[in-house]
Amino acid sequence: MFRALTPYLLVAPLIIFIEVFTYVPILSSLNLSVRHWDFLSPTMPFVGLENYETLLSSRDFWNSLKVTTIFAVLSVPLRLALALAVASYLVRETLPSRLLRAAFFLPSVTSAVSIAVVFSWVFSTDYGMVNAALATLGFGKVPWLQDPSLALWVLIFVNTWKQLGYDVVIYIAGLQAVPQELYDAAAVDGGRKLHVFRRVTVPLVMPTTYFLLVISVIEAFQVFTIVNIMTKGGPAGATDMLVNLLYRVGFTLFDIGQGSALAVLLFVFLIVLSLIKSRVIGRKVHYEA
Amino acid sequence: MSFKLQNAVLAGAVALFSMVGSAEAATTVKFWHSFNKASGEALNKIIADFKTANPGIDVQAEFIGDYNDIVAKLQAAIPANRAPDAVILEVTRYGLFAERGALIDLTPYFDTDPLKADLYDYAREVGVYKGKNYIVPFNSSTPVLYYNKDIMARAGITGEPALKTFADILATSKTITEKLGKDGITGIAAPGQFARWGVVMANDSELIDRKTNNILLDSPNTIEAYQWMASLVSKEKVASPDGVTEEDNGRDAFLAGKVGIMMNSTGNYTGSKKALGDKLEVRPMPCNKVCSVPIGGAGIGILASSSKEVQDAAYKFVSYAASPEANATWFAATGYLPINKKSAALPVAAKALATQPGIDTAIKSLDYAYGRARPPVVTWMRTTEYKMWEAMALGQRPVDETMKDFAAQTRAEAKRAGN
Repeated sequence: MFRALTPYLLVAPLIIFIEVFTYVPILSSLNLSVRHWDFLSPTMPFVGLENYETLLSSRDFWNSLKVTTIFAVLSVPLRLALALAVASYLVRETLPSRLLRAAFFLPSVTSAVSIAVVFSWVFSTDYGMVNAALATLGFGKVPWLQDPSLALWVLIFVNTWKQLGYDVVIYIAGLQAVPQELYDAAAVDGGRKLHVFRRVTVPLVMPTTYFLLVISVIEAFQVFTIVNIMTKGGPAGATDMLVNLLYRVGFTLFDIGQGSALAVLLFVFLIVLSLIKSRVIGRKVHYEA
Repeated sequence: MSFKLQNAVLAGAVALFSMVGSAEAATTVKFWHSFNKASGEALNKIIADFKTANPGIDVQAEFIGDYNDIVAKLQAAIPANRAPDAVILEVTRYGLFAERGALIDLTPYFDTDPLKADLYDYAREVGVYKGKNYIVPFNSSTPVLYYNKDIMARAGITGEPALKTFADILATSKTITEKLGKDGITGIAAPGQFARWGVVMANDSELIDRKTNNILLDSPNTIEAYQWMASLVSKEKVASPDGVTEEDNGRDAFLAGKVGIMMNSTGNYTGSKKALGDKLEVRPMPCNKVCSVPIGGAGIGILASSSKEVQDAAYKFVSYAASPEANATWFAATGYLPINKKSAALPVAAKALATQPGIDTAIKSLDYAYGRARPPVVTWMRTTEYKMWEAMALGQRPVDETMKDFAAQTRAEAKRAGN
């Protein structure tokens, strides 16, 4: 009897942990998304789909969806392309490569809050390093974080800077798994470097690219810290990404029902997006050389 | 064991148990506040003095952040049963918590407290919501106009600059920006939210009517005031946009001697004086159409979730914090208004009045200072106002259209939330 139960007992702590910290909050969000609540009221009246209707008819939601999509579409390919280029250079097992890998990885393990605060100052209109450098070249002040057409680019830059190291490390692992004999064969056939990279390296790191694509798209749709610290979704909603809107609705305007509805929509949206990626790109991924 | 050693062990044990006993006897009051730096130090001194006078009460103070942070954290802490026992709440935003029963009615305490008679009328009024007392004021303020005399002189403005109307302020700001812009100096800091409310009142209007709670965001005078403020950044370019997206940036630039004029709370007096010394000059807010300023600041409320014993202990602290001694210390250290009629006569306050020119500017504004409306929707309105202001000041949306939209949204929210 005990022997039969042993496997279940061994996995029980993890299952309980996942239930309590993953599934219960998801179900709780689903429940709250069909209610009105402001944290303080003793009752949570059931309102059906009203929160969803309000959200889907609000200008803020569609603006956030647009901004987040632009952020993801611009930042993810940039990150992956840069990471692959850097990883191709750092894949060699030399001392400078190892040191550079550590340097690139450092921002990934640095607090996002610290990074956002530092970059807020770097891009400050009046006292920022960037504008100071531009001034020495004779340019005027650029309102990096106050101009709606620039603020999103600044966030893309900061997010890429922070996440690049992680992508590089994963790509290096992927590149190291590519058999050397394929490169040797390509060399024998007289393949040029760029040609070999395009015909050998890129196809063979597709599983890594696919993994990073899934992760980085999800991450792009959930970006919050740098937005909240650097722009608070401004100027004029230009960087008001979905999770920032969720935070604002739920935790500064205290409409928990609408905040939860937004969380549910985001959850569904990411699942659908992942399924589409799996169908469209997943089929082109080959896991064997 | 020798007799002496036995005695020593016994004495030690008695001392230890008596310490444990006294520690158990102390009632702990968890207190959330919004003061750091110099004002945080002044608050810590008040708490230390209170503890000395009341050894049975241990006030555990915690700095939470600004007023917005406190509202956000408190709202999340209440359902999680992690709320403090006493909390600083801004004077227009405690109505939400009073309405939902999160704060206790302090009227029974307040009515029997000699403090009530000692408070100025304005200070008594700011704690009243729907006829009951929910907070006792601690730090009261009005916005004032600060300027940097050195910058004025460098811009060629001699004597006392004219800063009484919107046109005066704009003209002075333009002169500063034109003359000193090449040195990275701008005329005026983009007004923060408290100053924006003051500018609207100086234009003979309000955001929400203080008597009827009617929303006045789209009244012509309010729109006109916002048009003027937005023009400082977007059209006239005499204020840096840095202070629009992060209002502390405007204040920090003024303290760094990079901005000529700043409209801000009198609670910034000590910090400004420390940063600028004799270069600092303080004037009342402009009287564009009328002289009228909002009373701001915060008071301390007590949470309904605490036990009666803790609530009693918390009230003792709340009452002490508004006492003449504590209030005089606070006034001298920060520049916030005296709330207690007896404070100004105490040596520490009298010395501040005699030696710190400008610290009394806000006091002189009290004749035309008014408490503001505080229905629950104010919390929502103030949070949303930041976004609206950004859009207007950065030239993204016309002021007229934005304020009308803002008014409509606020009315809908008030209706939805049952204000």
